[in-house]
Formats: sequence, C-alpha cells, structure tokens
Amino acid sequence: MKLIKAIVRPNKVDEIKDTLDKLSLPGMTVIEVRGHGRQKGHTATYRGKEYDVSLLPKTMVEVVVSDDLVDTVVEALIKTAHTGEIGDGRIFVTPVEHTYNIRTGEKDVV
Amino acid sequence: MVVAVEDVGLLETMAPANNRGSTADDGRERIARPLADAQREFVAEIERGRGGAAAHRRFADRMDALVGRAVEDAVDRAAIETPFAICAIGGYGRRSLCLHSDIDLLILFGGRIGRAEERFVNAVLHPLWDARLTVGHQVRTFAEVEELGDDNPEFMLALIDVRRLTGDSVLFEGVHTQYAAEGLLSRRSQIIEALLQLTEARHTSYNDTIYQLEPDIKSSPGGLRDIMAARLLARLTPDASASLEASELESAEDFLLRVRSLLHLEAGRNVNLLSHELQETAADRLRFPGARTEHRVEALMSRFFVHARGVSRTLARVTKASQSDGVPKALAVEPTGPNLELFAGAIRFVDPERASTEPASWLRAFEAALDRQVPVGDEVLAIVERHISTCTFDDVLPTEEDRDRLMRCLRPRKGQYETLSEMHECGLLDRLLPGFAAISCRVIRDFYHKYTVDEHTLLTIRALERLLEPDPSRERFRAVLGELRAPERLVLALLFHDVGKWKMHNHAQESVRLARAMYDRLELDTEFRNDVEFLIGEHLQMSYLAFRRDSEDPLVVQRFAALVGTEERLKMLCLMTLVDIEAVAPGTLTPWKEELLWRLYVDTYNQLTLAYGDDVIEKGQAAVAALQTTRPDDMTEHELSEFLEGFPRRYLAMFDSAHIYQHARLARGLHPDEVHLFLEQKGDVWELAVVTLDKPLLFSNICGTLSYFGVDILRGSAMTSPAGVVLDIFQFSDHGGAFRLNPGALAEFESLLQTVIAGRQDVTTLLQRKESGPLYRRGPRRITPVVYFDDAHSQSYTVLEIVAQDALGLLHRISRMISLHGCDVDLVLISTEGNKAIDVFHLTKGATKVPRDAQLALKQDLERMLEEE
Repeated sequence: MKLIKAIVRPNKVDEIKDTLDKLSLPGMTVIEVRGHGRQKGHTATYRGKEYDVSLLPKTMVEVVVSDDLVDTVVEALIKTAHTGEIGDGRIFVTPVEHTYNIRTGEKDVV
Repeated sequence: MVVAVEDVGLLETMAPANNRGSTADDGRERIARPLADAQREFVAEIERGRGGAAAHRRFADRMDALVGRAVEDAVDRAAIETPFAICAIGGYGRRSLCLHSDIDLLILFGGRIGRAEERFVNAVLHPLWDARLTVGHQVRTFAEVEELGDDNPEFMLALIDVRRLTGDSVLFEGVHTQYAAEGLLSRRSQIIEALLQLTEARHTSYNDTIYQLEPDIKSSPGGLRDIMAARLLARLTPDASASLEASELESAEDFLLRVRSLLHLEAGRNVNLLSHELQETAADRLRFPGARTEHRVEALMSRFFVHARGVSRTLARVTKASQSDGVPKALAVEPTGPNLELFAGAIRFVDPERASTEPASWLRAFEAALDRQVPVGDEVLAIVERHISTCTFDDVLPTEEDRDRLMRCLRPRKGQYETLSEMHECGLLDRLLPGFAAISCRVIRDFYHKYTVDEHTLLTIRALERLLEPDPSRERFRAVLGELRAPERLVLALLFHDVGKWKMHNHAQESVRLARAMYDRLELDTEFRNDVEFLIGEHLQMSYLAFRRDSEDPLVVQRFAALVGTEERLKMLCLMTLVDIEAVAPGTLTPWKEELLWRLYVDTYNQLTLAYGDDVIEKGQAAVAALQTTRPDDMTEHELSEFLEGFPRRYLAMFDSAHIYQHARLARGLHPDEVHLFLEQKGDVWELAVVTLDKPLLFSNICGTLSYFGVDILRGSAMTSPAGVVLDIFQFSDHGGAFRLNPGALAEFESLLQTVIAGRQDVTTLLQRKESGPLYRRGPRRITPVVYFDDAHSQSYTVLEIVAQDALGLLHRISRMISLHGCDVDLVLISTEGNKAIDVFHLTKGATKVPRDAQLALKQDLERMLEEE
C-alpha cells in the first residue's frame, strides 16, 4: 500500500474528487495547507503598496491505494491537476505499513 | 474504630438483610441485579416520555442504595478503622441522575490514607465498575477539605451539592459546612467568579448562541448547566433571586431531562448531544405533533428553543444581579427620549400603557438601547410581543423619520447583534422585514451549518460587529469595513440573504424575491435597492470563485470584476462572504480561506481600478441596448450611442439609467471652454456632474475650483471619450455650506469654472490665497504618501496610484503636476477614506503609455510635493 499526497491548486479539488470517484477509490482526505515550492510566491500590490505573497494557499489531497493502483492514480492526479503554469503542485508517494478500519477493526483493507 | 454503615433502611428494600461475609462475586451480583432492575424501571419511564426530573430523582435514590451496599460489603472485607464518609457530589448530589450519568463520589477519610484505606476504596469501587457504572471518585482526607476546590473550580462547584450517602456524619458536616452551608456565602465571590468564568468559557465554545442545530442538552447555552448556574447564582445573591423564574426553570429542566434520558437510552451511554438522528427519535418518543417526521422534529426543536431562550434570559438576569455588590441602592432614572428612560441598566417605557398603543415608539426603544449599548427591558419586549401581531408595518414605521431610524439601527456598531436578536425574539424584526419570520428556528441539515437559519443570519451581523474591534489578524478586512460609505446596505443584505431558505432550493433567488417587498415599504432609492439586491443575489459568488475556481486566472478575475462593477460593491460582497462563512460554525473561517478571499479581493480591486480603462463601451453591447430600450423621448438613438461609446464600461455599473440620460443631455451642444453642470444633493453628500471638452490642465482646474469653494471631495471619477468629451463626476461634502446655504452658488461656481477653463483666471493663485488665509489650517501629516506606477494591468494606459493625506486642493496639485509633466489624464478614480486620499490616474503621454524615464521624473516630483504637504 502507498500513501499518495498531492499538493494542488485549491480549485482542483472538485475535479480530483470526481477523478478518484471514477477510479472507484473509496476515500480521500482534504487538508488546507500553505506553502511554496518553485513558485516561491510573488509580489502583489494593493493601493500602490507592494507586499510579498510568499506562502501560497494550496490543498493537500491524501489517498491510500494498493500498490498496483499507484501509477494509475498518480497519472490521473497529474492529468487532473495540470494547468501547465507554475504552481500546479507536487505529488509524493510513500509506503504504508498497515491500515485499520476503526469501526470494524479490519486490517489492510483499502 | 469501626464506622457503622448507616441508611440500611434503603438497602433492605433491595436485598436480603444479612450479607456479612459475602464473597466478591456475591458482592458484584448484589450490585448488578438491583442495578438492572433500577435501570429497567427508569427505561420504562423514559419510553413513556416521563424520564424527567422525578424519574432522575428516583434513579438517584436507587443508586444511593447500591452505593450503600457496595460500602457495606467493603467495610466487611477491608476491616477499616479510619472514619470515612461517602458523599454524592455534582448532579448526583442534587439527586439528578440520568441513565448513564457518571456516579460522582467524594470518599472522605478522617485520618491518613494507608493501605487499609486503599483496600477499602478498591472494595467500594470495584463492584460498581464491574456493574459497568462510570464512577468519578475523589479520595481525600478531612485535613484536605479546606483546600479541596481551590485549584479546581469545577470540583469546588460540584462540592456545593455534596450529599451524604453513608459514613461518618461529622466528616460529612465538615465538607457540607465548608462548601454547601455557611461556607457557601463566605466563599460567595470565589464561587461566583469561578462559575461565571466556566460559564463564559462553555458558552464561547458554543459560539455564545442557544440556536444550535444539534444542541448539547447539558452544556449548550440554555441547557441544564445553565439552569444549575442560574439557581446557584440566585442562591448566592439576594438581588438575583428576585430575577429567577423558578417555575420557568423547573419546566425547562423537566423537558431537558426527558430529552436527555432518551439520548442516554438510545445511545446506551452518556450522550447529551441532540443530533439530527436523535431529534427524530426524541420527537416520536415524546409524541410531538406532526404528520411527517420533519414536522415533529420542528415541533420538538421549537420547544427546545423556547425553553433554552427562557433559561438563557434568566441566567443573563441573575448573572447581572450577581455582579452587583449586593447592596440595595436607589437606582437613577435617565430620560432617553419620548416615553423612554434608562433604568437599572436597561431601556424601559415611562408609561407602558401608552407604549402599548404607540407601536411607532417601539423602534425608538431599541435605538436608545443601541445608542447606550444596553439591553431593552423585559417589559419592553413583553409589550412588543403582546401587541405586534395586531400591528402592520406602517403602524411601526409610519414616517420617513421612523424609516431613517431603522437605517440608523442597521449601521454596524457594538451591541447590534444583541439588539437585533431582541427585536427578532419579540417579533419586531419579523414585522419589519418580510420573510424573516419564515426562517425563525428554521433547521437546514447539512454537514456545515451548526445554527438555525435565523441565528446564522444574526451571527453574520455579530461577525461584522466584531470586525469593528481592533484585531491585527483582521486589520485588512476591518479597514475595508471602515471604508464603506453605506454599511447599512450590507447589514440589510445580510438580514435578507438567507430568508429564501424557507424553501429548499435556489434560496438566493427566493431571498431576492422576498427582499423586493421590503424596498417599497422602506422607500429605498434605486441605488440602495440595486446594491442590496446585488448582494443578496450574488452572496455565494465570491466564495465560489475564491475557493473553487482558479482565482489566479485573469479571466476569472476579469469576469468577477465585471459582475461586481464597482469597488464599493466588491468591498461589501467581500465582507458579506467573510462573515457569512464565519457564521456557519466555529472554525469554518480558517486563515487559509481568509487568504484566498483577500487575494481575490485584491486582484478584483486592481482589475476595477487599474485595468478598467481597456474595457470600453461599444455599439451593440447588451447594456447599451437596454439603455436604448428605455431611452427618453427627447433623446435619439444616435445621440445616446455617440455619448456612450468609448467611455469605460465601468461607467454603466456606476450610474443608473436616469443619471446616464442626464449626463448625455449635458453633452449636448458643447463648445470649447464651455462647461455644462448638474448638481444634486444625495443625503449628506452632493454630486456634481461636469461635462466639457478636453484640454490641458482641465481636470486640475475643475478640482481646484471645487476646492476653492471649500468643499471636501469624497470620491469621484473622470472619463474622456475618444471624441474628446470629458465627463467628471464628483461627490463632495459641503461642511462649509457653500452650496447648501447659498442658492446662487452653482451659478457662481459655473461662472468661475468657465473663466478658469478658458484661462482667464488662475485657480492655483486663488487656492494659494485661500491657503494663506486665517481660516485655513493644515493638520499634522499621519499618512506616509505612496506613489506607484503600474504598467502591467492596462494595455493602453500607465496607471498611477497615489495614497496620501487628504488636504485642501490636493487633487488639484497632483493633477497639475501630472499635466506639467506633459501627461494626459484620461481616466481618474477618486476616493477619500477618512483623512486618506486614494487616487488612481490612467495616464498617457503622446497617446501611448508613459515612458519609464518620464514616470521616474514625475514620481520624484510628486513624492517631493507630497512630502511637503
């Protein structure tokens, strides 16, 4: 099993949810985050005053999938979150040792 | 010393008398079986809908016997010699024990706690635990009694209800004396302080409102804890006891306990949250009327809110009384208006009989309460509540003055939420605002909202009110609120934004429909109506774009800017979105959301002020076609088209059709150096439209002439069409009365302006004379000037933004400097926020953007000039 963390533009979450639904993935976690990567923020002006917008609002989508689905899910996420502009985000894939369903106690069922 | 276990009489009713020498298993059995019996009896009562206060008391009595039995067995087994007392505390101490409530015990020893005492405690508790009871126990020596509650205010409050179950009477009396009898009054201030702090913290966690969609029967405002708090405060304060509505509290308590016992039964554990699902069960079990489940639930929740409101009011009254010093004093009476006076910290009618026949006086009472930041008295609320159903809107607001009073009440300020809530509770708000009654206690089930629709609406007003308080994290939004020129429009829109939720779908459009009935009643002018209607109809747009669309996409911003049209609407919509989200539930408005909202606001503001010049009116556009349709008879299609084409499209959003036709008429038959003017008064503000033909220094000369007349330019705009027709609109305040007091002032102004524009009079010289006069005083500079050039937002113009301290003739000097540098002023937006002037100029030089070196030179001269201001 793998944990896929995708940091994406906030407006892409609805599309990503639809994409994951189509792949029959049972669940996702959405977290409001702020940060910067290569985009490094930018300078904005308001009434003639410049100010740094260094930490940009992004959304982190987390989903745990079985190993055989990782490539499919990552590919779908990239396709959905892609605009071609700087700031499209990043995807991280990390191993997961076990998962447990708290209600049923089931182990390693994703 | 062996301590005799008392209260054996209770035990005898539940088990064979002689159980000495029984085993631990027998002990457990001796608890489990009678407990099951007691629970079964309680459940039967609950299922009959009778699990109220009496059933709780009976269950507490049965529990007393069980605990006594556990103690009796423990004494046998532990062979303890130290004197002890077993006491019930908290709700159990008050004999109010629910099906799965914690059994809160204080185990008190008369000497040191050693191994024997520990064995005894274990022997008492284990059988109770084995019976699956949740026991909250405190084990203390008598020597510790005095400090028992010092570091734990909750425990101190629980001790006030201490009740001996069994054991040494002397030990018990020690605690009882310290906390419940004489000690209660000697610790009065300590207890009141602790109680008020705990209550405030608890209420804060529920956002200080009783109107929870899923209330906690015990802890929510208006719940059981508040009943206990009110009773305790009344016990502690003689003044407060008079404010206690004992029968109202008893009735509320019984209802809440009946509901609570159902929650315990359904959940099988200590659950006090009346969730949506459990509301359905409770409504059925308690036999609330209604053909469908939702009707029964509405009936249940209406009853809940009625009781919670009663509890909440009582608690507020006794809290206020408890905070007095307890010394009766002659209370001063302060007249506050016709038939109104301030007495005992509240507004009341001098002659209540008279007030009941004068509905027009009711709003005056609420306005007086707002002005003095005090509540209206209960008697005022009762009078309004009693008579409101027989009154019409016109009875309550019969004159223009009364309608203006309502508008004043809608200007954001401290105490507005409380006052509007009181107006709602007594029915006055519902009478004034059509449709508001339909959302009273209205429940919408979704994953987000935590309050009823009416309360959510009022909480948006509270969020706006809180924005007035200094808070570094909210400073940027606070500044926007401070800049609104008519914030009452925003408040009125907020009050209406969700009234359409009485229907399940398209609530924004339904809210717009209901609001239309109010415009005529309140005789709102067209601009006011349009703003309010826009805000109600579009109140979901900004959050949708900020959080679910790519707000970095220039097209998204461009379209949103086209939708809002003006900065004023953008500011109102931004604040509306902010407070609407904040009022959904605590934590819904995160810093993340605030940031996204702010970015969309800034980008749209920049679009509206920096980029609007490229978007000009063209033939055939829908808005132009609409204007042609309603064109007055004295105007040809060609005349109107010629006037409009080439002006920024923003112009169409800034003015209604009547004003646009007026401006078009002013453009008729213009000759060089001739000006056509139209002046009108709009409340405290005057609006001057100037139409003339373009020429160098024109804008500077117009501004200078206005300043020479001593008026304070608040906001405005200047536009130039490709045909060279200039339309400048200024809104100004006339504090000196130049126009207000002098009927011939407009003719004088027009004559001087013609002279100045024709170059026969130098307005700079006139202003210099005025500035050196004895009446002119320049205040200290508090605003650091900002001069900023932007070449990015507009394709055709260089945009110059200036923020500076406002001063007489400032706009004249700035625009003159621009002209002296050879730049043409094509478009201008003028705004004054307090003493801050915010001006945006769209400039060209030789029909193209201003070159960088020319920008630099102009920047230096402007900065130097502004530094010298």
